[in-house]
Amino acid sequence: MDRVFHTSFYMPKDIVILGQAYAGSGGGQPLLWQHLFWFLAHPEVYVLVLPPMGIVAEIIANNTRKPLHGYKTLVYSMMGIGIMSFVVWAHHMFISGMSAALGNFFLVTTMIISVPSVAILTCLIFSLKGGSIRYNLPMAYALAFLPLFGIGGLTGLPLGLTVTDIYLHDTYYVIGHFHFVVVTGSIIALFAGVYHWFPKWYGRKMNDTLGWIHFWGTVTTMCGIFGPMLFMGLAGASRRLYDPTAQFHNLPVQGWNVVSTYSAYALALFQLPFVYNFFHSMWRGEKTVENPWQATTLEWACPSPPPHGNFEKTPTVHRGPYEYSVPGRKNDFWMQTEPS
Amino acid sequence: MAKNNNNHDEHRPNVGLYLKVFGALMVLTVVTVAISKVHLSRPLAIGLGLTVASVKAALVCAIFMHLWGENKVIHKALWITVACGAIMLLPLIDCLLVAQRITAPVSVAEQHPGGHGEAHAAEAHATEPVKVEAAAKSKPAAKKGGH
Amino acid sequence: MNNPDTHSGVTNAKLGVWLFLASEIMLFATLFTSYIVLRMGSTSWPWGWDVLNVPLATLNTVILISSSVTIVMAYARAYDKDKGGFQKWMAATLLLSLGFLVVKGFEYGHEFALGIGPHTSVFYAIYFTMTGLHGIHILGGIAVNGGLLWMSTVDEHWNNHLFLGRVEGAGLYWHFVDVVWIFLFPALYLL
Repeated sequence: MDRVFHTSFYMPKDIVILGQAYAGSGGGQPLLWQHLFWFLAHPEVYVLVLPPMGIVAEIIANNTRKPLHGYKTLVYSMMGIGIMSFVVWAHHMFISGMSAALGNFFLVTTMIISVPSVAILTCLIFSLKGGSIRYNLPMAYALAFLPLFGIGGLTGLPLGLTVTDIYLHDTYYVIGHFHFVVVTGSIIALFAGVYHWFPKWYGRKMNDTLGWIHFWGTVTTMCGIFGPMLFMGLAGASRRLYDPTAQFHNLPVQGWNVVSTYSAYALALFQLPFVYNFFHSMWRGEKTVENPWQATTLEWACPSPPPHGNFEKTPTVHRGPYEYSVPGRKNDFWMQTEPS
Repeated sequence: MAKNNNNHDEHRPNVGLYLKVFGALMVLTVVTVAISKVHLSRPLAIGLGLTVASVKAALVCAIFMHLWGENKVIHKALWITVACGAIMLLPLIDCLLVAQRITAPVSVAEQHPGGHGEAHAAEAHATEPVKVEAAAKSKPAAKKGGH
Repeated sequence: MNNPDTHSGVTNAKLGVWLFLASEIMLFATLFTSYIVLRMGSTSWPWGWDVLNVPLATLNTVILISSSVTIVMAYARAYDKDKGGFQKWMAATLLLSLGFLVVKGFEYGHEFALGIGPHTSVFYAIYFTMTGLHGIHILGGIAVNGGLLWMSTVDEHWNNHLFLGRVEGAGLYWHFVDVVWIFLFPALYLL
């Protein structure tokens, strides 16, 4: 509204932009924008990351043929993250002029929210121990998620600590951090989900060769783009500069921009096998059985693709969702709908 | 308000109560408009106005929206909402009571030449840290003048 | 029958409406917080009686509260399966809502004629934004209530066991709009 209707919600009095006085009346506060924006946007990023974490948990349980480690911890941690995500937003604004006291408050809540995140990642990693790991495409993506999201999360710690954030705020380090969590985190998990559930959607499997090309290409180029940003930021390279070479300390790290750019083009190219694979397999993929991954959960108990209403008759659930490798049974999985 | 056993989960309407609440709401509206005409001190005016508004809102919520006697799940959901809304006030309280308000505009009087305002105006156009002091100095004066 | 067969103990529809209202509460809470911030950060703030038409807004308050009563009466008639009564009270609600918008139209028209708009000052910016958003919510409510009134003329809908739940849901939304105005009126006009 400030731009279109010349209101002054965020424009302070007598502000002059590019030599011209602002057309509105003034009297607003830029800080208001920051608080309103981040009050939304911080919970938003947890909306972006929690469902992919769930997908990874599902795929890991399936492809290690054993129940998840610390299932209850996982669930309570996810709930804890959801609740805490509402009281951390001002860690995006540590240098906006807040008092140190308020900064301390958000520092503490941000450190608290990192605990359940680490708990979730730890449970997922421990779930691998003793498992009979099948290295198919969904599992590859789920495995890649673990260290890469770990990097994203750990690089968030200096940003959550007020003192180090003073240096790192608005540098390339921030860009590296949030892209690691969302791109190498959420998006990789979403790819895992697509490869995992595609047989359910279309009754056909996606092509493995193209999938592996997509996987290796995507993971390496993603790191190629955002890895350099982490140390560019540590060198002090600021964000949103029209001419970064104007700052002397940026010059030594400018070369890494080239690496990022080439990686970005390569990442785009590596998505082509995926797109082709997706649409080609919809019509001409190798036909598959109802439960190709030998999974236990309900969605695998209906035909692929599911008909209208999903199930031929209402399923009866006999046990929990992660009954893999139950001792004494012939099969290494026991579907929820299978009677005892 | 009370649930009946008609296989409905909706609340049984109590028309007499609805009309009484209507009367109360009309009276409270008149009261709040009348109070505002009397020039009370700022905090008292705001306090009274908000109290009357809260009473009216509580009546509408409890009786018309059937919140009185509603399932606990709804109550819990609403308390969570209130908590979320309340935390938005945290930075506001910080801004007003704790931090230097460097984003507050320098008052108009301070910016016009003439009198001691000129010295402050000169400072205000100088570097950022000085502007902080000028704003902080003028803030108490402006706050008194503006009301 | 409307026995809610859910773990929560309420029908999905009612829970859904309340969760929707919770999100609307957050929306208006944000605007009210912004109002507080902008007002406390300003050097001067006009008094409602000086710059706005308070008598007209008081009339609107009376109109809106009355429409809240008429919609709850419509619910009461629907509860007793009294189609004529329901339609009468719902029509009254619609008339009052339209009246609210007409009065608001006069208010805005007068201001626009004087060249006053959201750009004039922060006070007017927040005034137009909040009353405008509230007005859009009134429009939405008119659409829903009008839809329910039409549905009551169709036997298949009137006899549906879910119809009473729908009326209650629409009523909840309408009362919410009324509560917002109950706070908006003193905040902008009186204090």
